[in-house]
Amino acid sequence: MNTKYIMIVAILVIGLLSGCDDFLDITPTGKVIAKTGEEYRALLTYEYKNFPEDRGLATLRSDEMTLDKASTNAEDYDSFFDIWSWNDDAPSATTVSFGWRRYYHVIYIANYIITHQADITQATAAEISQLVGEAHMMRAYVHFLLVNLYATPYTHCDPGTTRGIPVQLKADINQLPRSSSVEKVYEQVLADIETARAHLNVKLWPKGYNYRFSTVAADALLARVLLHMGRWDAAQAAAEAVLKERSTLENMNLGNSVLPCHYTSVESIVALEQVMTHVYKNIGIPSKEILSLYRSGDMRKNKYYRQVTSSRSELRKGGSNEYSCSFRTAEFYLTAAEAAARLGRFEAAFNHLFPLIDHRYNTTAAAQYKTELRGMNQEQLLVEILAERARELAFEGFRWFDLRRTSQPSLRKTYGENTYQLSPADARYTLRFPSEAVEANPGLELWPLK
Amino acid sequence: MKRIAFIFCGLLLILPLLAQERTVSGVVYDGETEKEPLIGATVSTVGGKGIKGMQTDENGRFRLSVSSEVKSLLVRYLGYLPTTVKLQPGVQNYEIKLMPNNEVFGEVVVTGYQKIDRRKLTASVASLQVSDEVVGAVKSVDQALVGQIAGLSTVSANGAPGAPVKIRIRGTASISGTQEPLWVLDGMPLEGTDIPSMEDLKDIDNIYQTSIAGINPSDIENITVLKDAAATAIYGARAANGVIVITTKKGKEGRPIVNFSSKITLTPTTDIKRLNLLNANEKVDLELALLSSDYKYRANKGAVARILAESGETATYATGGWTALSSATQARIDALRGINTDWNDVLFRSVINQEYNVSLSGGSERASYYSSVGYHNQSGTVKGVENNRFNLTLKGTYSLNKILKVGASVFANQREQESFLADMNGFTNPVYYSRLANPYFQLLNGNAYNYDTNVQGKEDSSLDFNILEERNNTSNRRTDRALMSIFDAELKLNDFLKLTTQMGVQYDQYTLKKYAGHDSYAMRKEKLFATFSFPDGKRSILPDGGMHKVTEYHNKQWTWKAMLEFARRFNQIHDLELMGGTEVRRSETEAIFSAAYGYDNRTLTTQPVLFPSENIAELYPLYKETHQENAFVSWFATGSYTLSYRYTLGGSIRFDGSDVFGVAKKYRYLPLYSVSALWRAAQELFVKRLKWINDLSFRASYGLQGNIDKNTSPYLIGTFDRVTILPGTPEKVIEAENAPNPDLRWEKTKNINLGLNLSVLDNAITFTLDHYYRRSTDLIGMRMLPLETGFSMTTINWASMENRGWEIAIATRNVKTKHFKWTTQLNLGFNTNKVLKETVAENSTYPGREGYPIGAVFAYKTAGLDAQGYPLFVNAEGNAMTATEFFKLNRHGASTLTAEQQRALYSYVGTTDPKCSGGFNNSFEYKNWQLHVNFMFNLGMKVRVVPSYSPTNYDRGLNTNRDILNRRTPANPAGLFPSLMVSTDRPAEYIRYSEYNLYSMLDTWVRDNNYLRLQSLRLAYKFEPSLLSKWGISGLSVSLEGRNLWVTGSDYHNYLDPETMGNPFAQPIPKSVIFGLNMNF
Repeated sequence: MNTKYIMIVAILVIGLLSGCDDFLDITPTGKVIAKTGEEYRALLTYEYKNFPEDRGLATLRSDEMTLDKASTNAEDYDSFFDIWSWNDDAPSATTVSFGWRRYYHVIYIANYIITHQADITQATAAEISQLVGEAHMMRAYVHFLLVNLYATPYTHCDPGTTRGIPVQLKADINQLPRSSSVEKVYEQVLADIETARAHLNVKLWPKGYNYRFSTVAADALLARVLLHMGRWDAAQAAAEAVLKERSTLENMNLGNSVLPCHYTSVESIVALEQVMTHVYKNIGIPSKEILSLYRSGDMRKNKYYRQVTSSRSELRKGGSNEYSCSFRTAEFYLTAAEAAARLGRFEAAFNHLFPLIDHRYNTTAAAQYKTELRGMNQEQLLVEILAERARELAFEGFRWFDLRRTSQPSLRKTYGENTYQLSPADARYTLRFPSEAVEANPGLELWPLK
Repeated sequence: MKRIAFIFCGLLLILPLLAQERTVSGVVYDGETEKEPLIGATVSTVGGKGIKGMQTDENGRFRLSVSSEVKSLLVRYLGYLPTTVKLQPGVQNYEIKLMPNNEVFGEVVVTGYQKIDRRKLTASVASLQVSDEVVGAVKSVDQALVGQIAGLSTVSANGAPGAPVKIRIRGTASISGTQEPLWVLDGMPLEGTDIPSMEDLKDIDNIYQTSIAGINPSDIENITVLKDAAATAIYGARAANGVIVITTKKGKEGRPIVNFSSKITLTPTTDIKRLNLLNANEKVDLELALLSSDYKYRANKGAVARILAESGETATYATGGWTALSSATQARIDALRGINTDWNDVLFRSVINQEYNVSLSGGSERASYYSSVGYHNQSGTVKGVENNRFNLTLKGTYSLNKILKVGASVFANQREQESFLADMNGFTNPVYYSRLANPYFQLLNGNAYNYDTNVQGKEDSSLDFNILEERNNTSNRRTDRALMSIFDAELKLNDFLKLTTQMGVQYDQYTLKKYAGHDSYAMRKEKLFATFSFPDGKRSILPDGGMHKVTEYHNKQWTWKAMLEFARRFNQIHDLELMGGTEVRRSETEAIFSAAYGYDNRTLTTQPVLFPSENIAELYPLYKETHQENAFVSWFATGSYTLSYRYTLGGSIRFDGSDVFGVAKKYRYLPLYSVSALWRAAQELFVKRLKWINDLSFRASYGLQGNIDKNTSPYLIGTFDRVTILPGTPEKVIEAENAPNPDLRWEKTKNINLGLNLSVLDNAITFTLDHYYRRSTDLIGMRMLPLETGFSMTTINWASMENRGWEIAIATRNVKTKHFKWTTQLNLGFNTNKVLKETVAENSTYPGREGYPIGAVFAYKTAGLDAQGYPLFVNAEGNAMTATEFFKLNRHGASTLTAEQQRALYSYVGTTDPKCSGGFNNSFEYKNWQLHVNFMFNLGMKVRVVPSYSPTNYDRGLNTNRDILNRRTPANPAGLFPSLMVSTDRPAEYIRYSEYNLYSMLDTWVRDNNYLRLQSLRLAYKFEPSLLSKWGISGLSVSLEGRNLWVTGSDYHNYLDPETMGNPFAQPIPKSVIFGLNMNF
């Protein structure tokens, strides 16, 4: 009797215990440790989705937007006024911050993909290579944005001895990062673009997926970086490389043209950042300074803006994900033209500038403008190219960075009876590191490093 | 036993015939060990004239001279069964063996895994018999523990029906992990017993119950609290905060007993007079005074400002004062003075609640059964709050044959809770609202609602609010259904080997329905927040109608455990008990949330929401589902060795394994262990001589408890989501925003316990003393990361802390006569907690707690007010100074001190945890009358209260307490409270007070918090069974109990109750009178 019971129990116990090892192997629903190519792609897609929109926020720093009592609501005033009025020393506590942690999270995921590329399963070599290429592009683009938000422009300092930003090349939370020099940051950006170029194999993504980086995007980023470094010759070459692949412009003289910053536009190369999100778009109105840049006969004035009263216009660009645009063709016409003009290559400059003029102005105005340009000296031409750049790329996240890298002029803003001024080459052309970043890593501002 | 019976029978046959004086002698032995002489046993004569008696000497010997009429001797010894020995003719020497009385000393302690003989118990445990006599008419199990167990402190932060009691056993041992004890029902650990943070409990609509609330207290026999590592190590990681073991009633051998009990509870309405609020006259005067002053905050709020604005006399009044106003306006303002809305009556009520329980129990040698049905309804004193519970319990045990015994039980309950929806800021919470609503505000104008435009929460919007409308047009209903079923079997393989197994299934489910009708503040607010800009202007994307949000929650767990127990005695004195076993547990949680808009609760129709874009649609999820599964496997073993019931050595070990996602198997286990010892000194000869000592024993234990944070992984773990980046192309993403940390270690708590049990004077006084020391290291907490890592926080092993304390329990039998008995029970727990190490974030301006208790409260020391009525601060040197000097303010009100210097400005003022807590219970019995008086107390706490009013942001549209009348003004230069500040007077300080969290951090707002509560005062009468038998009733008792009738404590003026002082949202602990009836058939 007893033996029988003992046997039954023993068998039961052994049976149950042997099942225990697998018993603990639960894959939590909805949670995942990325293994497959699809999952690694999903990690990167999240970063594309949550990419910071600071180029949109930077329009507040430039002269593009006016805040006034009529169009700025109380909540936006609390959040953005001190950014707009360059009150960097004692901003109110409600002021929003430019991104920092989010950028480095993008970098973390990019580094994670780069480190784990050999572990990715269920994906072709080409898919993995493309993904790793995009990760390098992410890393390059984010470091480039950070160094342009938080460090002195490359063209206005000795890059080798000027404090840049921390360069993060490892997915590791247990490090205590320190800032690198501006030079080192740019070197890394260029190195990443080069590595990306070697890995990328999609030339351009179809509409809907064209927020992703591609081989054309690598050339495009390279052209933009070189322009910011003042390496004109290389910048011109890179821009021309982009134009070789992608030269069609929206023709505003035709009735069916879409806004060039629309993600379905023929000009779209990378439709990643919304720039003017529905929040930023509603903070204020386009400034008189920017509106007055447009010449008569410029179709963009009505395409980009809607006139509400004689003195007020509203912005049409932005406000939804349809207007996502990080890189588009027109930028590279302008980059090539500027670089050529700086090198005194007048003909090359005209060749790059005129097609854009033809697509943006009505025929009479275009012809007149071209004639005027042909009569200009190098300095005048450069001024016009930069003005054309401001007109074309207004509210697309370029103006603040262009002002920084070029003349850093004096800017004035008025709100009610108060005026605010940014003097020429003002220190506030470069943002402070966000205080929460300094608080979390007090060594961030240490410079020079010992 | 058999041998004694045999002798006894033999004695009956040979009756003594002689009757003369003779001498008898002998030795009294312990019948179990058969060798141990009992010293001090009483030997007395039976029969004959008078009683002769003596006590045995140190060798257990006695010698008596007895008359021949004496037929037998009665031998008694405490803790042993009294034995009568027939005297045999001619036999002079007797060897008498006394059998230990298991009823008294062989008492067993149920630990959930084992039943341990108290004489072998090395651990620190305390038991509580749950009966109306002991705990009074409690509504839930956690309430039963209040003030009953030394070292177990309780705080009822909310008096709402069904609100949980915060229980801490021996202080707090974890910071970020759970601090709740583990609850075990008839051997099965329960899930879902964590109570939410007090912050979450502030809203009336946050109706929340733990699974404990579903247990009917009248089904409970006994609660055992396991306190030290020796007792809890066997439960593994979940037991780091102590264990509460509930044993339910079971059928007793005998005829079927039907028990009926009923309780009718009368709870009188809350009395908000204690809040000391302004009446209409005072409020109107205050508003008038402010309107002629420079204080500008929300100058347009309040009825007076509105009347002045309507008549266009705002400026007239500011310059000319009252006399400058037109007589019509004066009359309108004066009319306000006459209205005094009785908010107490609008918001609160008296309630009568009922509870009925019927049980049927009984059993035979082979089987026993217990079944009960219970119903309990509890309406809150806050109008609109309802709560009820229905219980069903079935239990049975069956001996199938000599070696196999099985048992099965089912506990089922359904609970319903209902209230109305409250605002996310909590201001529509009735308890809070009662403090803010203006005394001159009338809710109804005929049949139409008047809207309160003054009470608006944080945002200054113009949404209409009326509490009656809100109560009528919104609802918040939660229905809980819980089922727990336990099946156990015991197989006696032979005399010393036993196999037991237990399978438990717990199933909890609730449905939470939040409804807001179209005409409600909640809906209007929801709509306002969903306003977006469209090409044609701004409008809300939500359709007309109400909303309905439903959460369905399911949780099920099953636990299976099997144990092999070995218990054997060798050579009469060596007791060896060994037990080994395994436990497997799996739990699954699922929640589904859905939201519907444009909802009509009569037609049950909804309308689709037309989202302008995918990005906005992502902000309003209409459906959400979560699912979580966990599995645990454990192995455990305990062993004890006892020598002669005098020395016991024990030990236990447990390995806990759980499914930590992605972690290699070898890292899933941490051994938790304990070693312990017991010395029953009373059994030593030299103590046995001291006849007044009945029990004296010493306990010691050491053990390791631990806990792992399952939310942090060494790997990058992401969660799936689906998003749209560009229109029309939704894609899968993996969100990985939690930093992986491969360096995370287990939280460990080392636990030392030293204990003493003493009972003296025939057990008239029993005394238990425990000293414990718990040192927790590698405590898990959040640390700020350099943001360049990509993450802001990670969990790290960050702090260490110690708890040390004393626990004293004294039970005395003060008087015992034939008709009268008075017993007293006092339990005290003293706990001191110290944080030994804590990493303070570099940017923190609030001090770290290193060297202070975990509940440390820091505040700025002040020294009254300066001439302008601004607070004066005291610096480290003891000098009084203004805020500007103290904080070195710049002109924007920002401090120019570093974060570290700002931390140093604070002074430590005390701790929020009680230094001493306990209970003092008295029970008196006279004939059939019983009187019980139970007190509970918490002493030595501090509490930070909400300031009466803010000197910069007092909103004149709201009511406040009378402290504001005693503010410093030119007319009242001796005022105790700060003046209402004007922004232009001292701009930097104004900004500091208005924008920084400064005013509430003054030491003025930290109060002493000590209280003593008369928890239960209960008078009961038991009818004589002889009077009842003709109606077939075998027992009847009636009782009248007052609960929480009286509380005293350090100053709590302006607050309803000292226990809920820190939380202006909490319903006060209600007073109640309960009539109880208990009948047995």
